[in-house]
Amino acid sequence: MSAVIAKVNAVNSEPPVEREQLPAEVMYEVERHLIREARLLDEERLRYWYENYLTEDIHYSMPVEVSRYRREKGTPLPGSNPGAGAFNDNYEFLGMRITRLETGLVWMEDPRNAIRRFLTNIDAEYAEDGSGEVIAYSNFMVYRNRRQRDQNITYGNKVDRLRKVDGKWRCCQRTIHMDQRVILDKNVYFFL
Amino acid sequence: MKDLSALIQENGAVQDRSIYWDEDIYELEQERIFARSWLFLTHESQIPLPGDFVTTRMGEDEVIVSRHSDGSLQAYLNSCPHRGNQVCYAEMGNAKSFTCAYHGWAFGTDGKLTNVPLEGDTYYSDINKDRFGMQSVAQIDSFRGLIFATFDAGAPSLNEWLGDMGWYLDSFMDVPGGTELLGPSMKSILDCNWKVTVENFIGDGYHVGWAHAAALDAIKSPLSFMKGNAAFDPKDNGGIQVATRGGHGMGIIWDMAAALHVNPAYHEWLEYRGAQVREKQGERAEKLLKGHWNASIFPNCSFLHGTNTFKHWQPRGPRSIEVVTWTLVEKEMPQELKEYLAVMMMMTFGTAGMLETDDGENMEGCTGSNRGWMTRQGKIYSGMGQINEGPNSEWPGIVNEGFVAETSYRGFYRTWADMMSGKSWEEMARGDGRRSIKEVA
Repeated sequence: MSAVIAKVNAVNSEPPVEREQLPAEVMYEVERHLIREARLLDEERLRYWYENYLTEDIHYSMPVEVSRYRREKGTPLPGSNPGAGAFNDNYEFLGMRITRLETGLVWMEDPRNAIRRFLTNIDAEYAEDGSGEVIAYSNFMVYRNRRQRDQNITYGNKVDRLRKVDGKWRCCQRTIHMDQRVILDKNVYFFL
Repeated sequence: MKDLSALIQENGAVQDRSIYWDEDIYELEQERIFARSWLFLTHESQIPLPGDFVTTRMGEDEVIVSRHSDGSLQAYLNSCPHRGNQVCYAEMGNAKSFTCAYHGWAFGTDGKLTNVPLEGDTYYSDINKDRFGMQSVAQIDSFRGLIFATFDAGAPSLNEWLGDMGWYLDSFMDVPGGTELLGPSMKSILDCNWKVTVENFIGDGYHVGWAHAAALDAIKSPLSFMKGNAAFDPKDNGGIQVATRGGHGMGIIWDMAAALHVNPAYHEWLEYRGAQVREKQGERAEKLLKGHWNASIFPNCSFLHGTNTFKHWQPRGPRSIEVVTWTLVEKEMPQELKEYLAVMMMMTFGTAGMLETDDGENMEGCTGSNRGWMTRQGKIYSGMGQINEGPNSEWPGIVNEGFVAETSYRGFYRTWADMMSGKSWEEMARGDGRRSIKEVA
């Protein structure tokens, strides 16, 4: 008897959606913006970042992606699952996280963590809705070193929605995809 | 190996540091604790339909937990009995069968072998398929939706195993509609011994004001007064800490269930549910429902009632665990409230949680320092509040009048020591002189 093998769509056969591309100077602005943002975060300028790089309607998330068989892609999870994520933050929650670090009472951050962000594969295009907002894609690597020899490297991808406010780009939506189902670090309490 | 009888001393108040580090002790834990205890698997809400399954671990053993076509709960080792390969790599889903990737042996959702490729051509049909199912657990059962299993056919029933802990749990779990775990779970790695996290949840009211000072300050909740231990008055230690027989235990702060929440909806829900619970189960149950709990169910799962956190600490060697976290809610809560509670749980005790992050660091520190040989020759201490504990006229178990104590630590380590010494179930059932619910008025 020969085995019956159910056919599943094993790779992505959908062509990418063609969206309006950014003019070269806008692309350059977006790239420099993301790279500068990473530097400010490396330098722990968290309050400045909060006030100058985000919009007050931001949704900042790092959703959990369940490891399921391909045939179940898109099948709803059981129960009333609202989804989960290490971050599922609005502007107020992000502010609270920064306030915590500002108190000086976070023993884990003293001596400080060295966190280094590497941003690459930046791509961007205009959002479909004609708002002039930009969808920016980037891959990241985050290196965290602390307490002499405790270190971890995490990889992933960011999808940002950027809006120009008073001539400056700000992030109004950030979705962070970690390429680890099990976070191999003790926490991910850092910003990307 | 060190003398087992000397690892836990002074009625559970002193632990030998080697139990957080040594490989041989850890291996013995696998045999004498994890292969005997009822272990948490999942919640019925995660596998409601026939064919639904999740994969998890019992101790270090990979298992599949499924809802079989007849509706029964099943759990079996996730390993092919042919050449040993792991069979299922998805963490959850719905399946009619599981097929091994190596030679294609297929199993039903009860773990039984259903198909052997080329059976007639290769085995000449001379194979007894009944003999080669994936190995089932010895007992599986659920308590108010929480599914547990044990590899020990001689273990007492789940209800007996939970004992008075079950009575306490009923105050918030035996409610119309029951409870639900909201997933998907968050998972992360902590380089600590599994017992360090269990003891933190079972009885550490002491660290809250100090370890979580920054989070308490930033969140601006009714618990913020405890920041930096600034306003803690020991005379006002309003709550209880309990060690129940079997190594379970909890600390409860009265009237603080919703203390980390600013949203009034949860407070309102507790009032609504509290009245029903009082009517059905009495005033004590209502008091429990409205208290904030930190609790552990022996050996390795924990929860916070009020902060809606449910944790499964899966050991991965003596110095590492996988932390699995869900949001624990009532099924009948409005979806909007569930979503709010899930967001707050992730904000506080998720993988980037404002309080979780403080704890993880300390858990690793409590383990890692034992790397040093000389350090490891020493002992550590959980003797707080011994003067203030005993059987209680109102609450079952050994009870400390005040939630900041280490009473439930000691209960956990007494049971740990009993199991490690290889005592029989009968011997253990006689242990721990304390009042059970049957003896409390």
